[in-house]
Amino acid sequence: MMARLDPYTPTPASRASRIVVMVLPFVISLICVLLSFVPISRIIGASTMPAFAMMAIFYWAVVRPEMFPVYVVFIMGLLTDLLSAGPIGLWAFTYTLTYTLVLTQRFLIINVPFSVFWFAFFVTLLVEGAISWTVASVIYGTLLPVRPVLAHVIVTAAVFPLLAFLFGRIERRILPTG
Amino acid sequence: MDPNRSSMPIREISHRISLVFMLSLAAALLLLGRAETYVFDNARQVVTDLAAPLLELASRPVAAARRAVEKSDEYAYVFDENERLRAENQRLMAWKDTALKLEAKVARYEALLNVQVDPSINYVSGRVVSDNGGPFVDTVIVNVGREQGAKSGDAVIDTDGMIGRIVATGEKASRVLLLTDLNSRLPVVIEPGHYKAVLSGDNTAWPKLEYLMATSSVSPGDRVVTSGDGGLIPPGLPVGLVIQTSDGNLRVQSFANHERLDYVRILKYEFPTNVARQDPPALLTGPPVKAAPAPTAAPAAPIPGAPAPATPPASSIKPKPAAAKPATTKPVTAKPGAAKPVTTSPAAPAAPASTTMSPVPDEPAEPDEEEAPQPPTEVAPDNAPAGQE
Repeated sequence: MMARLDPYTPTPASRASRIVVMVLPFVISLICVLLSFVPISRIIGASTMPAFAMMAIFYWAVVRPEMFPVYVVFIMGLLTDLLSAGPIGLWAFTYTLTYTLVLTQRFLIINVPFSVFWFAFFVTLLVEGAISWTVASVIYGTLLPVRPVLAHVIVTAAVFPLLAFLFGRIERRILPTG
Repeated sequence: MDPNRSSMPIREISHRISLVFMLSLAAALLLLGRAETYVFDNARQVVTDLAAPLLELASRPVAAARRAVEKSDEYAYVFDENERLRAENQRLMAWKDTALKLEAKVARYEALLNVQVDPSINYVSGRVVSDNGGPFVDTVIVNVGREQGAKSGDAVIDTDGMIGRIVATGEKASRVLLLTDLNSRLPVVIEPGHYKAVLSGDNTAWPKLEYLMATSSVSPGDRVVTSGDGGLIPPGLPVGLVIQTSDGNLRVQSFANHERLDYVRILKYEFPTNVARQDPPALLTGPPVKAAPAPTAAPAAPIPGAPAPATPPASSIKPKPAAAKPATTKPVTAKPGAAKPVTTSPAAPAAPASTTMSPVPDEPAEPDEEEAPQPPTEVAPDNAPAGQE
């Protein structure tokens, strides 16, 4: 912290690392959003895609919220809105609200074993599903079927450990620089 | 954690403010998205166009992996499958005979009645490059855009049947609204009884049949095809089979497998608005009203429609020469059968033919002569003599 105040210009390495820290959340979110649209699940003949964006939001909101600011979450949601044909603002609102809720409950799940972390993610997904379902139902003016939302939640929770592992590696790589 | 405590609250406060700001921005976006649809539609198109190449790149290995999985499935059942296909082939050979007979018969009737045959439909093929990306919408992106001639409203089919229609097009990519989406409405016909209904998606796997007449007797297993009402979607495209859910509702199980969308066809259908005028054949009009130059006794020769060489693009069974020079007064009998347009268009012809019935025109014989060596075109083989317009 104090090192920033000294008059020396930062070394190229530290400058590069700062750029990485700044750009990384955007790259991660962009990849996660795009990945949600790649028909991966059709390999096994299913049409429910996991919400990779939600995994990124949860993980980084709990582990390193200062690296994953709220506007990145908002952009993620907006991008999802634009890429899917749903109502504009649905995912921007859902993601931002979920991110805020996770931030407020963050102290409960910091430094817990992975199983608890995973369970917390599942609960978060249920909340997120409820929010998005309510908003979408209001917008469409009808009670939407709940089953696709539940399938979405379950698939996302099932794939989470994989992404959490990947994010963990990324985090350990950049931790010394941050 | 905090080296200088004084800066912490400020940062905390700004953090809170940004959270609240973003939340309200998102909420505002929800309302704004309803009002300013045009702006967001454009933004959506730009984003889709930008993302389409990336998605296509990413979907390639996915498609390869899926094919590998499917192939290994097929290897496991290769003997059973072979057996099944052989049995099916036998059945289909019998059907083929029937189909050929019926084709000839229908063609003859069409020629007799001077039916306006539907134009054959051009198409472009593309690949589905994206998934729906959420539980509330059922749309996919295909890598065919305006550059390839896709336009909003075009029907999209795969090898088994209709899967949806295009709702937005970019330069290189288009969005397809699947039949299962909440916003999808498709005019259909339930086949043996020809009952009309609207197939409306509701985000479940089986879209509902709505606006079905209470008196109609539709039973599970009936075939559902597009009706072509509204002129947007060509009539006769296979959609699915009627099923009955446990609560007694009639729904449709589509022929196309939505879980395995890969290559699709976008039909560039144009509703035939500017159809050429047709005249009924001799048998239906009776003797000419005016004093015609042609011999009144023979109903054959000067009557338009009959001799017009409609130039079927393929598979005409009747001899062509008869059609090529009918305008002279020598034909022995009416040769309506010669003008036999056969196209591969899937549909039964719609109404326009019968609505253009009219008295016999005045000088029918002349224009036919010029029209005789008519080149085959991909549009409707119009039986009308050129002199009519």
